[in-house]
Amino acid sequence: MNSLDPRVTRLPQVGEVKPKKMLDQLGTFEVFVQAKDGKAFQHEGCVHAANLEMAYVLAKETFTRRFTCVSIYVVDTRDVFASITTEGNQSTYELIEQEPSSLPKKQFEIYQLAKRGKQHVNAGVVEAGSPAEALWIAKDLYGAGKIIYNVWAIEKNKIRFTADTEKDLWLTLPEKKFRDASDYKGGDKLKEFLERQKS
Amino acid sequence: MYGGGNTFEGIKTDSLAQEDPVKLAAFEARIARGEKIEPTDWMPQLYRKQLIRMIEQHAHSEIIGALPEGTWITRAPGFKRKLSLMAKVQDEVGHAQLLYSAAETLGKPREQMIDDLISGKSKYSNIFNYPTFTWADCCFISWLVDAGAIVNQLANAKGSYGPYCRALDRICAEESFHLKYGHHCVIYLASGTPKQRDMFQEALNRWWPPMMHFFGPSDKISAHTEILMRWKVKMGTNDDMRNQFLDMYVPKIWELGFTIPDPLLKKNPDTGKWNYTEPDWEEFKRVINGDGPCNKERLEVRRIAEERGRWVREALKASSAEYVMPLA
Repeated sequence: MNSLDPRVTRLPQVGEVKPKKMLDQLGTFEVFVQAKDGKAFQHEGCVHAANLEMAYVLAKETFTRRFTCVSIYVVDTRDVFASITTEGNQSTYELIEQEPSSLPKKQFEIYQLAKRGKQHVNAGVVEAGSPAEALWIAKDLYGAGKIIYNVWAIEKNKIRFTADTEKDLWLTLPEKKFRDASDYKGGDKLKEFLERQKS
Repeated sequence: MYGGGNTFEGIKTDSLAQEDPVKLAAFEARIARGEKIEPTDWMPQLYRKQLIRMIEQHAHSEIIGALPEGTWITRAPGFKRKLSLMAKVQDEVGHAQLLYSAAETLGKPREQMIDDLISGKSKYSNIFNYPTFTWADCCFISWLVDAGAIVNQLANAKGSYGPYCRALDRICAEESFHLKYGHHCVIYLASGTPKQRDMFQEALNRWWPPMMHFFGPSDKISAHTEILMRWKVKMGTNDDMRNQFLDMYVPKIWELGFTIPDPLLKKNPDTGKWNYTEPDWEEFKRVINGDGPCNKERLEVRRIAEERGRWVREALKASSAEYVMPLA
Protein backbone atom coordinates (compact mmCIF):
# COMPACT_ATOMS: atom_id res chain seq x y z
CA MET A 1 0.00 0.00 0.00
CA ASN A 2 1.28 3.45 -0.83
CA SER A 3 -0.17 5.84 1.70
CA LEU A 4 0.47 9.38 2.90
CA ASP A 5 0.87 7.77 6.29
CA PRO A 6 4.25 6.00 6.48
CA ARG A 7 2.90 3.69 9.17
CA VAL A 8 0.21 2.49 6.78
CA THR A 9 2.73 1.99 4.00
CA ARG A 10 4.77 -0.21 6.33
CA LEU A 11 1.85 -2.51 7.22
CA PRO A 12 2.39 -6.15 6.29
CA GLN A 13 0.17 -7.87 3.76
CA VAL A 14 -2.36 -10.28 5.23
CA GLY A 15 -4.57 -12.92 3.67
CA GLU A 16 -8.30 -12.74 3.35
CA VAL A 17 -10.30 -12.07 6.51
CA LYS A 18 -13.03 -14.62 6.96
CA PRO A 19 -16.32 -13.54 8.53
CA LYS A 20 -16.67 -14.66 12.12
CA LYS A 21 -18.97 -17.38 13.23
CA MET A 22 -22.18 -16.14 14.78
CA LEU A 23 -21.50 -14.91 18.33
CA ASP A 24 -17.82 -15.81 18.06
CA GLN A 25 -16.85 -12.88 20.21
CA LEU A 26 -15.97 -11.68 23.68
CA GLY A 27 -18.39 -11.65 26.59
CA THR A 28 -20.65 -8.77 27.64
CA PHE A 29 -20.27 -6.89 30.93
CA GLU A 30 -22.35 -4.10 32.43
CA VAL A 31 -20.67 -0.98 33.79
CA PHE A 32 -21.79 1.09 36.82
CA VAL A 33 -20.32 4.45 37.77
CA GLN A 34 -20.39 6.53 40.96
CA ALA A 35 -19.99 10.18 40.00
CA LYS A 36 -19.36 11.61 43.47
CA ASP A 37 -18.84 10.38 47.02
CA GLY A 38 -22.19 9.73 48.62
CA LYS A 39 -24.03 9.58 45.28
CA ALA A 40 -25.63 6.32 44.17
CA PHE A 41 -24.02 4.19 41.48
CA GLN A 42 -25.70 4.39 38.10
CA HIS A 43 -25.72 2.02 35.14
CA GLU A 44 -23.68 3.53 32.30
CA GLY A 45 -23.48 0.94 29.53
CA CYS A 46 -21.60 -2.17 28.52
CA VAL A 47 -18.19 -3.34 27.38
CA HIS A 48 -17.03 -6.57 25.76
CA ALA A 49 -14.08 -8.36 27.31
CA ALA A 50 -12.53 -11.75 27.85
CA ASN A 51 -13.02 -11.67 31.61
CA LEU A 52 -14.18 -9.55 34.52
CA GLU A 53 -10.76 -7.97 35.14
CA MET A 54 -10.32 -6.92 31.48
CA ALA A 55 -13.88 -5.62 31.49
CA TYR A 56 -12.96 -3.41 34.44
CA VAL A 57 -9.96 -1.93 32.58
CA LEU A 58 -11.99 -1.31 29.41
CA ALA A 59 -14.86 0.20 31.40
CA LYS A 60 -12.49 2.69 32.95
CA GLU A 61 -11.23 3.68 29.48
CA THR A 62 -14.64 3.82 27.83
CA PHE A 63 -16.72 5.58 30.46
CA THR A 64 -14.36 7.52 32.71
CA ARG A 65 -11.69 8.60 30.23
CA ARG A 66 -12.89 12.17 30.40
CA PHE A 67 -15.52 12.49 33.07
CA THR A 68 -14.25 12.25 36.57
CA CYS A 69 -15.86 9.83 38.97
CA VAL A 70 -14.92 8.33 42.30
CA SER A 71 -15.59 4.66 41.62
CA ILE A 72 -16.78 2.17 39.01
CA TYR A 73 -17.66 -1.51 38.98
CA VAL A 74 -18.44 -4.16 36.38
CA VAL A 75 -20.40 -7.40 36.33
CA ASP A 76 -21.07 -10.10 33.74
CA THR A 77 -24.37 -9.27 32.00
CA ARG A 78 -25.54 -12.81 32.70
CA ASP A 79 -25.28 -12.11 36.43
CA VAL A 80 -27.86 -9.32 36.24
CA PHE A 81 -31.29 -10.64 37.16
CA ALA A 82 -33.92 -8.35 35.58
CA SER A 83 -37.65 -7.96 36.21
CA ILE A 84 -40.27 -7.48 33.51
CA THR A 85 -40.41 -3.90 32.20
CA THR A 86 -43.73 -2.14 32.79
CA GLU A 87 -45.10 1.21 31.74
CA GLY A 88 -47.73 3.85 32.49
CA ASN A 89 -49.00 3.55 36.05
CA GLN A 90 -47.94 -0.03 36.54
CA SER A 91 -44.91 -0.70 38.71
CA THR A 92 -42.76 -3.69 37.85
CA TYR A 93 -42.99 -4.71 41.53
CA GLU A 94 -46.68 -5.48 41.05
CA LEU A 95 -45.62 -8.40 38.87
CA ILE A 96 -43.16 -9.81 41.38
CA GLU A 97 -44.45 -12.78 43.35
CA GLN A 98 -43.12 -13.96 46.65
CA GLU A 99 -40.39 -16.49 46.06
CA PRO A 100 -38.94 -17.74 49.32
CA SER A 101 -35.55 -19.37 49.10
CA SER A 102 -33.96 -21.69 51.63
CA LEU A 103 -30.49 -21.21 50.17
CA PRO A 104 -27.83 -19.50 52.29
CA LYS A 105 -28.25 -15.72 52.34
CA LYS A 106 -26.14 -13.58 50.02
CA GLN A 107 -26.05 -9.87 49.35
CA PHE A 108 -27.60 -8.35 46.23
CA GLU A 109 -27.24 -4.84 44.82
CA ILE A 110 -30.65 -3.52 43.70
CA TYR A 111 -30.96 -1.21 40.69
CA GLN A 112 -34.20 0.58 39.84
CA LEU A 113 -35.43 2.36 36.74
CA ALA A 114 -37.75 5.12 37.95
CA LYS A 115 -38.00 7.16 34.77
CA ARG A 116 -38.20 5.99 31.17
CA GLY A 117 -35.31 7.17 29.02
CA LYS A 118 -33.00 7.33 32.05
CA GLN A 119 -30.66 4.71 33.46
CA HIS A 120 -30.93 2.27 36.35
CA VAL A 121 -29.84 3.75 39.67
CA ASN A 122 -28.69 1.88 42.74
CA ALA A 123 -31.31 1.68 45.50
CA GLY A 124 -29.37 -0.33 48.07
CA VAL A 125 -28.39 -3.82 49.15
CA VAL A 126 -30.64 -6.67 50.27
CA GLU A 127 -29.89 -10.12 51.69
CA ALA A 128 -31.60 -13.05 50.05
CA GLY A 129 -31.12 -16.68 49.04
CA SER A 130 -31.82 -16.05 45.34
CA PRO A 131 -32.08 -13.05 43.00
CA ALA A 132 -35.85 -13.62 42.71
CA GLU A 133 -36.17 -13.47 46.48
CA ALA A 134 -33.98 -10.34 46.47
CA LEU A 135 -36.47 -8.58 44.19
CA TRP A 136 -39.32 -9.59 46.47
CA ILE A 137 -37.51 -8.14 49.48
CA ALA A 138 -36.62 -4.98 47.52
CA LYS A 139 -40.31 -4.50 46.72
CA ASP A 140 -41.10 -3.56 50.33
CA LEU A 141 -37.79 -1.85 51.05
CA TYR A 142 -37.45 0.37 47.99
CA GLY A 143 -40.55 0.01 45.86
CA ALA A 144 -43.38 0.90 48.22
CA GLY A 145 -45.57 3.71 46.93
CA LYS A 146 -43.41 4.35 43.88
CA ILE A 147 -43.73 3.48 40.24
CA ILE A 148 -40.62 1.59 39.24
CA TYR A 149 -40.51 0.35 35.65
CA ASN A 150 -37.71 -2.14 35.91
CA VAL A 151 -35.54 -3.58 38.67
CA TRP A 152 -32.30 -5.57 38.68
CA ALA A 153 -30.71 -7.74 41.35
CA ILE A 154 -26.96 -8.36 41.14
CA GLU A 155 -25.18 -10.73 43.49
CA LYS A 156 -22.52 -8.70 45.24
CA ASN A 157 -19.74 -11.25 45.13
CA LYS A 158 -20.00 -11.47 41.33
CA ILE A 159 -19.06 -7.79 41.03
CA ARG A 160 -15.57 -6.45 40.33
CA PHE A 161 -15.49 -3.39 42.62
CA THR A 162 -12.90 -0.60 42.75
CA ALA A 163 -10.71 -1.14 45.81
CA ASP A 164 -9.90 1.85 48.01
CA THR A 165 -6.27 1.59 46.96
CA GLU A 166 -7.30 1.92 43.29
CA LYS A 167 -9.22 5.16 43.67
CA ASP A 168 -6.19 7.20 42.63
CA LEU A 169 -6.87 5.90 39.08
CA TRP A 170 -8.87 9.09 38.50
CA LEU A 171 -6.55 11.51 40.24
CA THR A 172 -4.47 12.17 37.11
CA LEU A 173 -7.33 13.84 35.26
CA PRO A 174 -6.87 17.44 36.49
CA GLU A 175 -3.37 17.43 34.96
CA LYS A 176 -4.73 16.51 31.56
CA LYS A 177 -5.96 19.97 30.73
CA PHE A 178 -5.27 19.42 27.05
CA ARG A 179 -8.37 17.23 26.94
CA ASP A 180 -10.59 20.07 28.03
CA ALA A 181 -12.24 22.67 25.80
CA SER A 182 -11.24 25.40 28.28
CA ASP A 183 -7.58 24.80 27.44
CA TYR A 184 -8.06 26.14 23.91
CA LYS A 185 -8.52 29.84 24.29
CA GLY A 186 -7.88 31.30 20.85
CA GLY A 187 -9.84 34.49 21.50
CA ASP A 188 -6.90 36.80 22.21
CA LYS A 189 -4.94 35.56 19.24
CA LEU A 190 -8.00 35.99 17.03
CA LYS A 191 -8.64 39.54 18.29
CA GLU A 192 -5.03 40.52 17.76
CA PHE A 193 -5.18 39.07 14.24
CA LEU A 194 -8.40 40.94 13.37
CA GLU A 195 -6.95 44.22 14.64
CA ARG A 196 -3.81 43.68 12.59
CA GLN A 197 -5.99 43.12 9.50
CA LYS A 198 -7.81 46.41 10.07
CA SER A 199 -4.68 48.54 10.42
CA MET B 1 -17.08 12.83 14.59
CA TYR B 2 -19.61 11.66 12.15
CA GLY B 3 -20.87 12.18 8.64
CA GLY B 4 -24.58 12.52 8.37
CA GLY B 5 -26.60 12.34 5.26
CA ASN B 6 -27.44 8.77 6.09
CA THR B 7 -28.40 6.60 3.22
CA PHE B 8 -31.54 4.93 4.40
CA GLU B 9 -32.56 1.62 2.98
CA GLY B 10 -35.42 1.85 0.53
CA ILE B 11 -37.78 -0.43 2.37
CA LYS B 12 -41.29 -0.28 1.04
CA THR B 13 -43.54 1.53 3.43
CA ASP B 14 -46.24 -1.09 2.90
CA SER B 15 -44.10 -3.38 5.11
CA LEU B 16 -45.93 -1.49 7.85
CA ALA B 17 -49.12 -3.21 6.80
CA GLN B 18 -47.74 -6.42 8.32
CA GLU B 19 -47.31 -4.83 11.73
CA ASP B 20 -49.85 -5.18 14.50
CA PRO B 21 -51.95 -1.98 14.18
CA VAL B 22 -52.65 -1.72 17.92
CA LYS B 23 -49.00 -2.02 18.89
CA LEU B 24 -48.00 0.34 16.09
CA ALA B 25 -50.45 2.97 17.33
CA ALA B 26 -49.13 2.64 20.90
CA PHE B 27 -45.56 2.93 19.61
CA GLU B 28 -46.35 6.07 17.63
CA ALA B 29 -48.26 7.57 20.55
CA ARG B 30 -45.25 7.03 22.81
CA ILE B 31 -42.98 8.89 20.39
CA ALA B 32 -45.54 11.65 19.98
CA ARG B 33 -45.57 12.08 23.78
CA GLY B 34 -41.83 12.63 23.62
CA GLU B 35 -40.96 9.38 25.40
CA LYS B 36 -37.93 7.33 24.40
CA ILE B 37 -38.12 3.85 22.95
CA GLU B 38 -36.11 1.32 24.96
CA PRO B 39 -34.65 -2.03 23.81
CA THR B 40 -37.34 -4.05 25.59
CA ASP B 41 -40.21 -2.10 23.97
CA TRP B 42 -42.11 -3.34 20.96
CA MET B 43 -41.02 -1.60 17.74
CA PRO B 44 -41.82 -2.01 14.05
CA GLN B 45 -39.29 -3.91 11.94
CA LEU B 46 -38.75 -0.85 9.77
CA TYR B 47 -37.75 1.22 12.82
CA ARG B 48 -35.35 -1.44 14.09
CA LYS B 49 -33.71 -1.91 10.69
CA GLN B 50 -33.22 1.76 9.95
CA LEU B 51 -31.85 2.48 13.41
CA ILE B 52 -29.35 -0.37 13.25
CA ARG B 53 -28.25 0.95 9.89
CA MET B 54 -27.95 4.52 11.09
CA ILE B 55 -26.15 3.83 14.39
CA GLU B 56 -23.85 1.32 12.72
CA GLN B 57 -22.88 3.83 10.00
CA HIS B 58 -22.21 6.36 12.73
CA ALA B 59 -19.98 3.93 14.67
CA HIS B 60 -18.03 2.98 11.54
CA SER B 61 -17.56 6.68 10.75
CA GLU B 62 -15.93 7.21 14.14
CA ILE B 63 -13.50 4.34 13.56
CA ILE B 64 -12.64 5.25 9.96
CA GLY B 65 -12.66 8.99 10.76
CA ALA B 66 -9.78 8.43 13.18
CA LEU B 67 -7.56 7.32 10.27
CA PRO B 68 -7.09 10.54 8.22
CA GLU B 69 -6.34 12.48 11.42
CA GLY B 70 -4.26 9.68 12.90
CA THR B 71 -1.96 10.08 9.90
CA TRP B 72 -0.73 13.35 11.42
CA ILE B 73 -0.03 12.16 14.98
CA THR B 74 3.58 11.31 14.18
CA ARG B 75 4.12 14.67 12.43
CA ALA B 76 2.00 17.06 14.50
CA PRO B 77 3.69 20.45 14.91
CA GLY B 78 4.93 20.34 18.48
CA PHE B 79 4.39 18.27 21.57
CA LYS B 80 1.21 20.03 22.70
CA ARG B 81 -0.55 19.48 19.36
CA LYS B 82 0.56 15.87 19.37
CA LEU B 83 -0.95 15.29 22.82
CA SER B 84 -4.21 16.95 21.81
CA LEU B 85 -4.48 15.05 18.55
CA MET B 86 -3.81 11.74 20.27
CA ALA B 87 -6.50 12.50 22.85
CA LYS B 88 -8.92 13.42 20.08
CA VAL B 89 -8.28 10.28 18.04
CA GLN B 90 -8.65 8.19 21.19
CA ASP B 91 -12.00 9.88 21.83
CA GLU B 92 -13.25 9.02 18.34
CA VAL B 93 -12.46 5.35 18.83
CA GLY B 94 -14.14 5.50 22.25
CA HIS B 95 -17.25 7.01 20.63
CA ALA B 96 -17.39 4.06 18.26
CA GLN B 97 -17.48 1.72 21.27
CA LEU B 98 -20.46 3.57 22.77
CA LEU B 99 -22.28 3.53 19.43
CA TYR B 100 -21.66 -0.15 18.70
CA SER B 101 -23.13 -0.91 22.14
CA ALA B 102 -26.23 1.15 21.33
CA ALA B 103 -26.69 -0.66 17.99
CA GLU B 104 -26.22 -4.03 19.72
CA THR B 105 -29.25 -3.41 21.91
CA LEU B 106 -31.28 -3.66 18.69
CA GLY B 107 -30.05 -7.18 18.09
CA LYS B 108 -27.07 -6.98 15.74
CA PRO B 109 -23.91 -8.41 17.35
CA ARG B 110 -20.83 -6.19 17.36
CA GLU B 111 -18.55 -8.54 15.46
CA GLN B 112 -21.09 -8.82 12.68
CA MET B 113 -21.02 -5.04 12.30
CA ILE B 114 -17.22 -5.12 12.07
CA ASP B 115 -17.40 -7.91 9.46
CA ASP B 116 -19.86 -5.83 7.45
CA LEU B 117 -17.57 -2.81 7.57
CA ILE B 118 -14.59 -4.80 6.29
CA SER B 119 -16.57 -6.53 3.54
CA GLY B 120 -17.91 -3.16 2.37
CA LYS B 121 -21.51 -4.12 3.12
CA SER B 122 -22.07 -1.23 5.52
CA LYS B 123 -21.02 2.31 4.81
CA TYR B 124 -19.32 5.07 6.73
CA SER B 125 -19.17 8.80 6.19
CA ASN B 126 -17.98 9.56 2.69
CA ILE B 127 -15.74 12.44 3.72
CA PHE B 128 -13.14 10.11 5.22
CA ASN B 129 -12.36 8.72 1.79
CA TYR B 130 -10.31 11.85 1.10
CA PRO B 131 -6.61 12.19 2.00
CA THR B 132 -4.97 14.58 4.49
CA PHE B 133 -2.04 15.93 2.46
CA THR B 134 -0.90 18.55 4.95
CA TRP B 135 -1.30 19.48 8.60
CA ALA B 136 -3.87 22.04 7.49
CA ASP B 137 -6.10 19.24 6.11
CA CYS B 138 -5.96 17.67 9.55
CA CYS B 139 -6.95 21.02 11.10
CA PHE B 140 -9.84 21.33 8.65
CA ILE B 141 -11.18 17.97 9.85
CA SER B 142 -10.72 18.79 13.54
CA TRP B 143 -12.55 22.07 13.24
CA LEU B 144 -15.07 21.91 10.43
CA VAL B 145 -15.81 18.23 9.90
CA ASP B 146 -16.30 17.92 13.64
CA ALA B 147 -18.49 21.01 13.57
CA GLY B 148 -20.67 19.37 10.90
CA ALA B 149 -20.77 16.21 12.99
CA ILE B 150 -21.90 18.14 16.05
CA VAL B 151 -24.75 19.75 14.08
CA ASN B 152 -25.93 16.24 13.19
CA GLN B 153 -25.35 14.71 16.57
CA LEU B 154 -27.10 17.43 18.55
CA ALA B 155 -30.14 16.92 16.32
CA ASN B 156 -30.01 13.14 16.63
CA ALA B 157 -29.62 13.32 20.41
CA LYS B 158 -33.26 14.48 20.47
CA GLY B 159 -34.32 11.34 18.59
CA SER B 160 -36.55 8.58 19.88
CA TYR B 161 -34.22 5.66 20.63
CA GLY B 162 -33.06 5.80 24.28
CA PRO B 163 -29.68 4.02 24.07
CA TYR B 164 -28.64 6.05 20.99
CA CYS B 165 -29.62 9.36 22.62
CA ARG B 166 -27.70 8.52 25.79
CA ALA B 167 -24.58 7.60 23.78
CA LEU B 168 -24.89 10.86 21.82
CA ASP B 169 -25.18 12.95 24.98
CA ARG B 170 -21.83 11.57 26.14
CA ILE B 171 -20.30 12.00 22.70
CA CYS B 172 -21.44 15.62 22.29
CA ALA B 173 -19.97 16.55 25.67
CA GLU B 174 -16.57 15.25 24.53
CA GLU B 175 -16.79 16.78 21.07
CA SER B 176 -16.77 20.29 22.51
CA PHE B 177 -13.04 19.90 23.14
CA HIS B 178 -12.49 18.73 19.53
CA LEU B 179 -14.22 21.78 18.13
CA LYS B 180 -12.31 24.24 20.33
CA TYR B 181 -9.04 22.47 19.60
CA GLY B 182 -9.72 22.53 15.83
CA HIS B 183 -10.62 26.22 15.88
CA HIS B 184 -7.50 26.95 17.93
CA CYS B 185 -5.33 25.17 15.33
CA VAL B 186 -6.90 27.14 12.47
CA ILE B 187 -6.57 30.50 14.27
CA TYR B 188 -2.86 29.76 14.65
CA LEU B 189 -2.50 29.00 10.95
CA ALA B 190 -4.57 32.05 9.98
CA SER B 191 -2.56 34.46 12.10
CA GLY B 192 0.76 32.86 11.14
CA THR B 193 3.07 33.30 8.17
CA PRO B 194 1.79 33.74 4.59
CA LYS B 195 2.91 30.16 3.97
CA GLN B 196 0.75 28.90 6.87
CA ARG B 197 -2.22 30.90 5.57
CA ASP B 198 -1.77 29.48 2.09
CA MET B 199 -1.58 26.00 3.53
CA PHE B 200 -4.99 26.37 5.17
CA GLN B 201 -6.51 28.09 2.13
CA GLU B 202 -5.42 25.13 -0.02
CA ALA B 203 -6.87 22.67 2.47
CA LEU B 204 -10.14 24.63 2.45
CA ASN B 205 -10.23 24.47 -1.35
CA ARG B 206 -9.72 20.70 -1.28
CA TRP B 207 -12.21 19.96 1.51
CA TRP B 208 -15.07 22.29 0.68
CA PRO B 209 -16.74 20.02 -1.91
CA PRO B 210 -16.68 16.91 0.36
CA MET B 211 -17.87 19.13 3.23
CA MET B 212 -20.92 20.12 1.18
CA HIS B 213 -21.48 16.43 0.39
CA PHE B 214 -21.19 15.62 4.09
CA PHE B 215 -24.85 16.26 4.89
CA GLY B 216 -26.07 14.16 1.97
CA PRO B 217 -28.17 15.06 -1.07
CA SER B 218 -31.47 16.91 -0.72
CA ASP B 219 -34.08 14.55 0.61
CA LYS B 220 -36.78 13.53 -1.73
CA ILE B 221 -39.77 14.03 0.46
CA SER B 222 -41.29 10.60 0.19
CA ALA B 223 -43.73 8.74 2.39
CA HIS B 224 -40.69 6.89 3.69
CA THR B 225 -38.82 10.04 4.83
CA GLU B 226 -42.03 11.27 6.36
CA ILE B 227 -42.34 8.11 8.48
CA LEU B 228 -38.71 8.27 9.61
CA MET B 229 -39.18 11.86 10.68
CA ARG B 230 -42.42 11.10 12.49
CA TRP B 231 -40.65 8.27 14.33
CA LYS B 232 -37.81 10.67 15.21
CA VAL B 233 -35.21 8.51 13.50
CA LYS B 234 -34.34 11.32 11.16
CA MET B 235 -34.45 14.66 12.95
CA GLY B 236 -34.21 17.10 10.07
CA THR B 237 -33.71 17.11 6.34
CA ASN B 238 -30.18 16.98 4.95
CA ASP B 239 -30.66 20.50 3.59
CA ASP B 240 -31.68 21.79 7.03
CA MET B 241 -28.51 20.37 8.55
CA ARG B 242 -26.33 21.81 5.78
CA ASN B 243 -27.96 25.20 6.17
CA GLN B 244 -27.43 25.18 9.91
CA PHE B 245 -23.75 24.34 9.43
CA LEU B 246 -23.27 27.14 6.87
CA ASP B 247 -25.04 29.57 9.15
CA MET B 248 -22.77 28.82 12.07
CA TYR B 249 -19.39 28.39 10.36
CA VAL B 250 -19.20 30.38 7.12
CA PRO B 251 -18.95 33.67 9.08
CA LYS B 252 -16.19 32.17 11.24
CA ILE B 253 -14.21 31.10 8.14
CA TRP B 254 -14.67 34.52 6.52
CA GLU B 255 -13.66 36.24 9.74
CA LEU B 256 -10.23 34.61 9.41
CA GLY B 257 -9.89 36.07 5.93
CA PHE B 258 -10.15 32.84 3.97
CA THR B 259 -12.01 32.43 0.68
CA ILE B 260 -14.58 29.69 0.36
CA PRO B 261 -14.29 28.23 -3.15
CA ASP B 262 -17.90 28.80 -4.16
CA PRO B 263 -18.75 32.09 -5.93
CA LEU B 264 -22.49 31.53 -5.37
CA LEU B 265 -22.23 31.08 -1.60
CA LYS B 266 -24.39 33.78 -0.05
CA LYS B 267 -27.08 34.00 2.55
CA ASN B 268 -30.46 34.99 1.24
CA PRO B 269 -31.59 37.68 3.71
CA ASP B 270 -35.25 37.09 2.88
CA THR B 271 -35.40 33.36 3.51
CA GLY B 272 -32.47 33.05 5.93
CA LYS B 273 -31.25 30.15 3.77
CA TRP B 274 -27.88 29.89 2.13
CA ASN B 275 -27.50 29.77 -1.63
CA TYR B 276 -24.65 27.69 -2.98
CA THR B 277 -23.46 25.92 -6.07
CA GLU B 278 -25.15 22.53 -6.21
CA PRO B 279 -22.54 19.98 -5.07
CA ASP B 280 -21.43 17.39 -7.61
CA TRP B 281 -23.65 14.48 -6.55
CA GLU B 282 -22.23 12.25 -9.28
CA GLU B 283 -18.87 12.41 -7.56
CA PHE B 284 -20.55 11.77 -4.20
CA LYS B 285 -22.15 8.60 -5.57
CA ARG B 286 -18.95 7.48 -7.23
CA VAL B 287 -16.93 7.86 -4.01
CA ILE B 288 -19.55 6.29 -1.76
CA ASN B 289 -19.59 3.29 -4.07
CA GLY B 290 -15.88 2.72 -3.59
CA ASP B 291 -14.13 4.85 -6.17
CA GLY B 292 -12.71 7.61 -3.97
CA PRO B 293 -9.05 8.45 -3.40
CA CYS B 294 -8.76 6.56 -0.10
CA ASN B 295 -11.62 4.03 0.06
CA LYS B 296 -9.33 1.09 -0.53
CA GLU B 297 -6.74 2.24 1.95
CA ARG B 298 -9.26 2.91 4.74
CA LEU B 299 -10.80 -0.55 4.51
CA GLU B 300 -7.43 -2.21 4.02
CA VAL B 301 -6.14 -0.70 7.26
CA ARG B 302 -9.19 -2.07 9.11
CA ARG B 303 -8.82 -5.44 7.42
CA ILE B 304 -5.13 -5.74 8.34
CA ALA B 305 -5.85 -4.66 11.93
CA GLU B 306 -8.58 -7.31 12.15
CA GLU B 307 -6.35 -10.06 10.80
CA ARG B 308 -3.33 -9.10 12.89
CA GLY B 309 -5.48 -8.95 16.02
CA ARG B 310 -6.93 -12.40 15.44
CA TRP B 311 -4.38 -14.29 17.54
CA VAL B 312 -4.92 -11.89 20.42
CA ARG B 313 -8.66 -12.41 20.34
CA GLU B 314 -8.20 -16.15 20.17
CA ALA B 315 -5.71 -16.19 23.01
CA LEU B 316 -8.09 -14.09 25.12
CA LYS B 317 -11.15 -16.12 24.42
CA ALA B 318 -12.21 -17.77 27.66
CA SER B 319 -14.99 -20.27 28.02
CA SER B 320 -16.16 -18.38 31.11
CA ALA B 321 -17.26 -15.30 29.11
CA GLU B 322 -20.08 -15.41 26.62
CA TYR B 323 -21.52 -12.84 24.24
CA VAL B 324 -25.02 -11.73 25.16
CA MET B 325 -27.03 -8.68 24.16
CA PRO B 326 -26.34 -5.67 26.42
CA LEU B 327 -29.13 -4.74 28.83
CA ALA B 328 -29.78 -1.09 27.99
